[in-house]
Amino acid sequence: MEMRRLLLAALVAVGVQTLPAQAQEKLYVYTSMKESLIGQLKTAFVAKHPEVKMDYQSAGAGKLMAKIAAERESGSLLADILWTSEVPDFYQLKDQGVLETYVPKEIGALVNPLPDYDGAFTAVRLGTLGIAYNTRLIKEAPKTWADVQKPAYKGAYGIANPALSGTAYMSVSALVKQFGWSYIEALRANGAKMGKGSGQVVDDTASGDLLGSLAVDYITLDKVDKGATLALVYPPETLVIPSPIAIMKGSKNLEAAKKFVDFVLSKEGQTIIAKEGTLPVRTDVEVPDRYPMPPVADAMKRAIKIDYRQMMAEKEATIKKFTDIMQK
Amino acid sequence: MTGTLRFGTPQILFGLAVAILVVFVAVPVLLIFFNALWVDGAFNLADTIKVLSEPETYRALINSLILASGVTVTGTIVGTFFAWLVTRTDLPYKGAMKVLFLVPFMLPSFIGALAWKMLLSPRSGYINRFFMETLGFPDAIFNIYSYHGIILVETMYLFPFVFIQVCGALERMDPTLEESARISGADLFTITRKITIPLVMPSILSGALLIMLYSMAHFGTVAMLGIEAGIYNIPTLIYERIHQSAGSFASIRTATVLSTVLVFTAALIIWAQNKILSGGRYQIIAGKSFRPTEIRLRGLRTPLLLFCIAYIGFTIVLPTVTIFLVGGLNTYGLPISPENMTFDNYYHILFEWDLTRDAIWNSIGLGFASALITMFAGVIISYVIVKMKVRGKGILEFLGMLPFSVPGSVIALGVILAWSGKYGVNIYNTIWIILVAYIARYMAFALKANSAALEQVHNSLVEAARASGATMWQALRDIVIPLVRPGMVAAFFLIFLPALRELTVSVLLYGPTTRTIGVAIYTLNEDGETVYAAAMSGVALIIIVTAEVVVKRFFKVKQ
Repeated sequence: MEMRRLLLAALVAVGVQTLPAQAQEKLYVYTSMKESLIGQLKTAFVAKHPEVKMDYQSAGAGKLMAKIAAERESGSLLADILWTSEVPDFYQLKDQGVLETYVPKEIGALVNPLPDYDGAFTAVRLGTLGIAYNTRLIKEAPKTWADVQKPAYKGAYGIANPALSGTAYMSVSALVKQFGWSYIEALRANGAKMGKGSGQVVDDTASGDLLGSLAVDYITLDKVDKGATLALVYPPETLVIPSPIAIMKGSKNLEAAKKFVDFVLSKEGQTIIAKEGTLPVRTDVEVPDRYPMPPVADAMKRAIKIDYRQMMAEKEATIKKFTDIMQK
Repeated sequence: MTGTLRFGTPQILFGLAVAILVVFVAVPVLLIFFNALWVDGAFNLADTIKVLSEPETYRALINSLILASGVTVTGTIVGTFFAWLVTRTDLPYKGAMKVLFLVPFMLPSFIGALAWKMLLSPRSGYINRFFMETLGFPDAIFNIYSYHGIILVETMYLFPFVFIQVCGALERMDPTLEESARISGADLFTITRKITIPLVMPSILSGALLIMLYSMAHFGTVAMLGIEAGIYNIPTLIYERIHQSAGSFASIRTATVLSTVLVFTAALIIWAQNKILSGGRYQIIAGKSFRPTEIRLRGLRTPLLLFCIAYIGFTIVLPTVTIFLVGGLNTYGLPISPENMTFDNYYHILFEWDLTRDAIWNSIGLGFASALITMFAGVIISYVIVKMKVRGKGILEFLGMLPFSVPGSVIALGVILAWSGKYGVNIYNTIWIILVAYIARYMAFALKANSAALEQVHNSLVEAARASGATMWQALRDIVIPLVRPGMVAAFFLIFLPALRELTVSVLLYGPTTRTIGVAIYTLNEDGETVYAAAMSGVALIIIVTAEVVVKRFFKVKQ
């Protein structure tokens, strides 16, 4: 019967497609890095290590932590590597003893922004956040963090939900530490909104749904490269958020995981990271000139200082207070 | 040997049918009820009520009600009006119009929601921008992130439920009833009010209840348009709780309580629908007699035709075109003009990006596998229900139809509870857990199609085979299966096509490599990758529409 043959052929086709290629080692990376960054890294990594079949889940830090917790609960952890920007999470996971200690091969070439370094997790990039604004609708660039409290941004300044986005959470905590809760309250009084993820607020700024947003460097610069009417500015007090990478204890693909950690910290990996528009952790890699970000040393000097352990203790309260203010 | 087989086969079949239904359908649903009502092993209704009275859960319940009622009212009005227009008037091209009005049925509404976000989001929506920038309006004319917006979009995709039902009723209605009223001197208004409306009322109500059932349990549109504005309904709150709270006990519990409410509401709606349909007071419309008289629209003919064309253009063509155009933009927010357009996004998602390519193959693979398995399981179970005289088959019937009243998010939650390691089997994070959920979700479709086919196979055929010495298996293989094959094919496609565009279930179950098409589009949109979400939606539309057309053309499946 014609139909049966057709079905069979289609089934075979589907089966062939879904069969794993002659693999090898596997690797599951859970990261909050967006496609523009992690996609490039993956391409370069599997080109260098064809024996590894790598897959990644790209989502906000909050969702990834929930996913990992659910996996731990169910007794089968799929994630081999966690790489987000929510630094306190890593201290917490380390305290719970669920991170594998691994000191990368080229540790000597790296800048380490994280206190109590012991190899449980290593910073891969220094994420910076600034103010992204839509140049089609805003003519005068903001200069300070307080500028977005002005009427020009009424009802149209966005911050990602800190419960979902690690960078948003870190930034909110840092800004509150520097300027007090009154800063957030003043934003809200000007109609500032809490968005969803860190990618979405930038996309909304590019489309004009928002006029400005608290924005992650490479997410904004990727869209600028594609022609979005966006600009990114850095107020004097910089937000520098390290994005640590860690191998989960009990990883079934330990060797592949180590290879990946070494790769993203290698000169090749760090060059990709710098090219995408975020600060590398290697001193021998430079950010292209066309990007607006300050050099590493300058950015670090101007950065709002963060106590990660204290932040970990205050996390829930900070998120709750922020949400309460923004939803009032 | 034949003795034992003859005695054994019905038992084996019955056992198999029970096992399939219990494992795939009953266990997950029972686990939901158990988790919702029992705390630490003790029945605790007070705690359940406490969960329901928390502001967030309570709000989600109210929102589900508001949205479902709104969509039901508007969808019923729109559906009834168009049904009347294409069946009882002399509207030009009404055959084509009837087909076009059914198109929204095959389009996934979350893609529609995405398109309407691009058209009507307050500052950046293309329609709003046109009004503000070109016509100088001070504010956006419509904010899609609102109750109105959600109701508007859902109405566009759900009104065909009423449309189909009412069209059917109006076509089958005996025109002599209206005729005799007219001869007795009643005017058109009186005839409509006293004869036509009472006659089609059951169909309108039953279609309306279907809209309500779907809208109550609808995830996609509310997730795309509501969360932004803080509007959660039951399925979106379940999603948020499951995804953001690490499978903690409290969040699972809230989700199970919400699910229980959803199941009971749905059961109530289905009960009401059965009640209306089996009311039996309107037997008059059974059977087809004459062509009903057409009302002459006269001067209104052209305006109403233009209105229909405008409606179709506005609700089907405009969103589809928007999806494809935005999918071709370099980045979201640029004006749609040739210098900003590229095929790179389409190329990237089709040939380079594992996430989207996996999603396409996962959806196709899941569709095939679930349709195939459910089709065969459906034959076995329907056979037991329709043909065999076994005690307890009423339970089978009940279990098989249970998924009809169990919304997708509830099935997904039940599957998480049942299959993530607590009871020995752990398929969490794998493609299998989605497959298991699809089987449960679509079982009812297979049962309906197969039962209908089996009822037409007379018992005497099997008896004749058995009398001639065939075993039960031989009779099944050589007589029954060939005769019910059309029913099986119908079941296959009734499952394959919706599985292709499924979102509600898979969004709760996906892992890093097990995204479906729906999940890919949803998460891309959520991550602020609007142009990729649009491009992926475009690809999905092509796949879905091609599948629908091929199926309709070559297999002549009656839906």
